[in-house]
Amino acid sequence: MNRLGARWRYSGLGALIVVCLGLLVIAASNIIRIERQMQISVTQNMTWIFGQTQIEALSLSAALSNDANSDVVLLRYDLLVSRLNLLRDGPQWRFLSEAGLAEGLMGWRDGLLRLDPAEGGDPAALKAHVSALSMALRQKASQVMSREWQVRSERLDQLSKLHLLALAAIIGALISGAALAVLLVDRERRLMQARLDRLRAERLQRDLTHERAASEGYRRFADLIAHQVRTPLAVIDSAMHRLTRSGKPPAPEVIRTKADVSRQAVARLVRLTDTALMMARVDRGAVAPELACHDLDRIAATVIEDLHAGNRVTLRTGNHPVTAICDPVLTSEILSNLLSNALLYSPRHSEIDVRPLQNGELAICDVCDQGAGMTPEEMAAAFENFVRGARHRDLPGSGLGLPLARHLARLQGGDLMLKPLEGGGLTARLSLPAKVVT
Amino acid sequence: MIALKRLLFGSVLIALGASGAVAQEVLLTLTGDVAGGEVKLTRADLDALEWHEIATSTTVTDGQPVFRGVLMRDILDRAEANGDTVMARALNDYVIDIPMDDFHEFDVIAALYMDGIALTPRDKGPVWIVYPRDDHGVLADIRYDMRWVWQLSALHVQ
Repeated sequence: MNRLGARWRYSGLGALIVVCLGLLVIAASNIIRIERQMQISVTQNMTWIFGQTQIEALSLSAALSNDANSDVVLLRYDLLVSRLNLLRDGPQWRFLSEAGLAEGLMGWRDGLLRLDPAEGGDPAALKAHVSALSMALRQKASQVMSREWQVRSERLDQLSKLHLLALAAIIGALISGAALAVLLVDRERRLMQARLDRLRAERLQRDLTHERAASEGYRRFADLIAHQVRTPLAVIDSAMHRLTRSGKPPAPEVIRTKADVSRQAVARLVRLTDTALMMARVDRGAVAPELACHDLDRIAATVIEDLHAGNRVTLRTGNHPVTAICDPVLTSEILSNLLSNALLYSPRHSEIDVRPLQNGELAICDVCDQGAGMTPEEMAAAFENFVRGARHRDLPGSGLGLPLARHLARLQGGDLMLKPLEGGGLTARLSLPAKVVT
Repeated sequence: MIALKRLLFGSVLIALGASGAVAQEVLLTLTGDVAGGEVKLTRADLDALEWHEIATSTTVTDGQPVFRGVLMRDILDRAEANGDTVMARALNDYVIDIPMDDFHEFDVIAALYMDGIALTPRDKGPVWIVYPRDDHGVLADIRYDMRWVWQLSALHVQ
């Protein structure tokens, strides 16, 4: 139905355009015809030509009456003949024929030529002939004039008809042009409306995607709570249950062991909460890094010491100190995070290398472990909130560590990337802006 | 070039054909700002100038007759005419002013022959001012048509 309507609209538009252009062509052709017909030609001056003939006849008649000398008579005679010859020429003769005035005129001319004074024609006969001729011409003169005015009027009628036709065509073109304009404006309005609708739909789609992502985040968060909070709580619950069991009071070593287990569980919970809090602050934009020049080797050494991981982690410093422009607290947080991951996900007793180095304008710190590494899919998803490797779901962790670390690196103008290590294992590379020594 | 030669040859033949008396008859009288105040041109004088041909339609004849004659500007140069306007006068005392520019803008000729036949006072001769009407659209206009003076007898330069 809609398509049919569109086709009708299009054919209507096309018809209007054709009508508009056609009317304009008609108007233009009429105007050109008017322009052509407006030229005046000498032929339309027949009254004057005829009058001149009459005057020459009278002049010759006068010259003959006054007994003027033969030269004058000859000249007058020649002129009268020339006027009659002119009337005999194409356009003039046609005019006279159409007016029914041509009849007899050439008889007068032939009679005149027979009495040519240059060839000894009889002056008296010539005089009588010319007098009769001028009388005949006088009668026809008014008819010539009336015929000429009639021709002119007909031409004016024709012109005014063409003019009216052109005017009507122009008015028609104006009307169809106006209709065309209305249709086009309406079409433009519809197009605009459609564009607005599309934009609105796109915004809705975007909002929906956003909502879906958020709801996916909540689902993962619920998953995290289920796994990562319940486990330590269960540990604590079980320890408390063991200590408060009726019967023989527990031995002091058992109490200490259960207290240690409970404290570790609590520490896990605290770390989890800290990470989540930090992420929330980063998300809010509430973390402002204090950037300054710091020795990356020293920051790494302090982190290793704080984690009491000296036995498994080797800090491999280069020949030159690596100076990064960074916030030491945030950088420590990142490195601590990376090291914890490495310690957690690689086999016990395997070595972990920390390698600070400078590469052009970047201060880099690589953390390399000899663990199982990550599949490309896992690496791609590693920086999404609450995503945890399928193989490690039961190991402690928030699923926020790597996303948080990358956020913190980017806050300082750096970045965090993962790449597989040759021969197994994973390298996490933190890059920060370096202080370039010139 | 060949056409021009033939034309010159033709005019010489015509000149030889004309009798001595006709050759000496005054065709045009130029007055006003011309050499000596008055210049009388005979057929022999015109024969001495370069002749040209124009094929053009006219308002008083049918078809496209071929006119032969000399350029108006050559005649005026011959008489050392100096002015802006030429007042042309015909045998019947028809008088009209023609701007001098016409003769320089267009190849206007003083025609003595139409379709090879000499113009006479009994027709539109002996001299007919002919504009190249078909070569220039602007000339197809009553204001120019009025300047086609036939039976031309005198020119007054001012």
